[in-house]
Amino acid sequence: MSDKTDNYNNGSGDFIDLLERSGYSWPKAIAGLTSIDKAALTQGTTVLAFHFKGGAIVAGDRRATAGNSIMYDRCDKVIAIDDYSLMAIAGVPATAFEMARILAHNFEYYRRSQLQPLSTEGKIRALSKLLKDNMGLAMQGVGAVSPIFASYDKKEAKPYIYFYDILGAQFEIQTHTATGSGSPVIRGILEYEDLWGDQRLAERDFKQAAKLAIRLLQTAGQFDSATGQARPEDNIYPVIASITDQGYRFMPEDELAVLFQESTKRK
Amino acid sequence: MFDEPFRWMEAISTRHSYVQEKLKKGQPVLAVPYKGGSLVMGFAAQPGKIFEVYDRIALGSLGHPADVERLRMTLLDMAHVEGFNRSDKDVTIARLLQFGIAPAMKQNFEEVMRAPYLVKLLFAEINFDNQPLFFRLNYDGHWETFKKGAVISGNEKESEWIQKQIEQTDFASLSLKQALKEACRLWEEGKKQSSPESEDADEQPTTLAEAFDRWTLEAAVLSTETERKVLYRVVAPDEIEPLKSAAK
Repeated sequence: MSDKTDNYNNGSGDFIDLLERSGYSWPKAIAGLTSIDKAALTQGTTVLAFHFKGGAIVAGDRRATAGNSIMYDRCDKVIAIDDYSLMAIAGVPATAFEMARILAHNFEYYRRSQLQPLSTEGKIRALSKLLKDNMGLAMQGVGAVSPIFASYDKKEAKPYIYFYDILGAQFEIQTHTATGSGSPVIRGILEYEDLWGDQRLAERDFKQAAKLAIRLLQTAGQFDSATGQARPEDNIYPVIASITDQGYRFMPEDELAVLFQESTKRK
Repeated sequence: MFDEPFRWMEAISTRHSYVQEKLKKGQPVLAVPYKGGSLVMGFAAQPGKIFEVYDRIALGSLGHPADVERLRMTLLDMAHVEGFNRSDKDVTIARLLQFGIAPAMKQNFEEVMRAPYLVKLLFAEINFDNQPLFFRLNYDGHWETFKKGAVISGNEKESEWIQKQIEQTDFASLSLKQALKEACRLWEEGKKQSSPESEDADEQPTTLAEAFDRWTLEAAVLSTETERKVLYRVVAPDEIEPLKSAAK
């Protein structure tokens, strides 16, 4: 028993440390790699997040591309990390999904082993650390990820949204953020809506927020070929999720289908 | 010292007696199904009887807190590494016990020059068909499975009586509130069935009123009614409060 336990925990609650002791290592930069056909790499876009009344909404389109090719149109780019945290990914899915998996296990492992949840600050830094560890691949252009992280702090009764650059710098977002190739199209609209819309974004209820998210992603898809528009005939809709004091919630497909029709109806 | 087989067998027998004596005061932990999942509950002087192991696995324990903690951490490590490297669907109690912790506990118990683990563990799991499963692991590595629920206790008579009652009760048709109430009733009735096995046994609570007054009721559920990946949830104080009031 002692041999088995000695190989495992040291009581720190750090899952990444446990993984490394179990033989896992994060991919390092590839020595001698001079060039790579970036068009062959699958990329994912566009995701956004903003504060609404009582929480934060996180949404994303479903398309994954490699250069000019559409690789997949049912990609879920908004991922639940724990009951109160969501991560939205833009960039190379291989790296991003791995990061999400590590984070999910990391947060749950910490909560279960330490008998208390990881602090929101700790969660935010955990993603930053993963991005920093990925710097080599990001700089070589083969594994860059630019995520959004949203978490609801139960103690403070407040949602947090963070945007990260590909090297791991974290920026707290007070109103809205978007990332991925379609983001320039919608960042301007978000800013306009927040300043001069009918209501500030943070004052809108969930339905209003979800409608806006659907319209934004449809607009991004109109101007950015790497962002997929919804295809109702094939039941392909954007992913719309929220975090509130009740935890995360992904909008179910039947609700999305109705709201999508309502949101995209011309005036 | 152990060059004669008899000496080794004698040492093992002494070890059983030693561990059982140490566990004698261990309070019962019950794991039973209910309409919306599985319930694990038990009274404890110090919190730390019921834990979450993985998304669909809960642990109940009695014994030395340091040993419980060491085994709990080993289970957590094994479950999380397996869940990460393969899938959460590959993390099951049967695998954790059969290929992980049970053989190691048996080995530990039979290495008579090493300190034995002073623990009994109880597991509840909801499988991916949403069916509840229950497991009991003894300090010597022996483990058993149960369909209708299971109990661990330091007192054998108490344990046997409660187990029999669990088998005869249709817990799966009860609501959480009813299942918790019935589990508490079995806890109290179990106390009446058990003969005092230690000198200071009479100092321990034997009724629900005493138990609520002096100890803490720990309870957790694996809920099949949640939309979340993680089924484990601690039963909230306001769900326990009616039982506490009724017991007074």
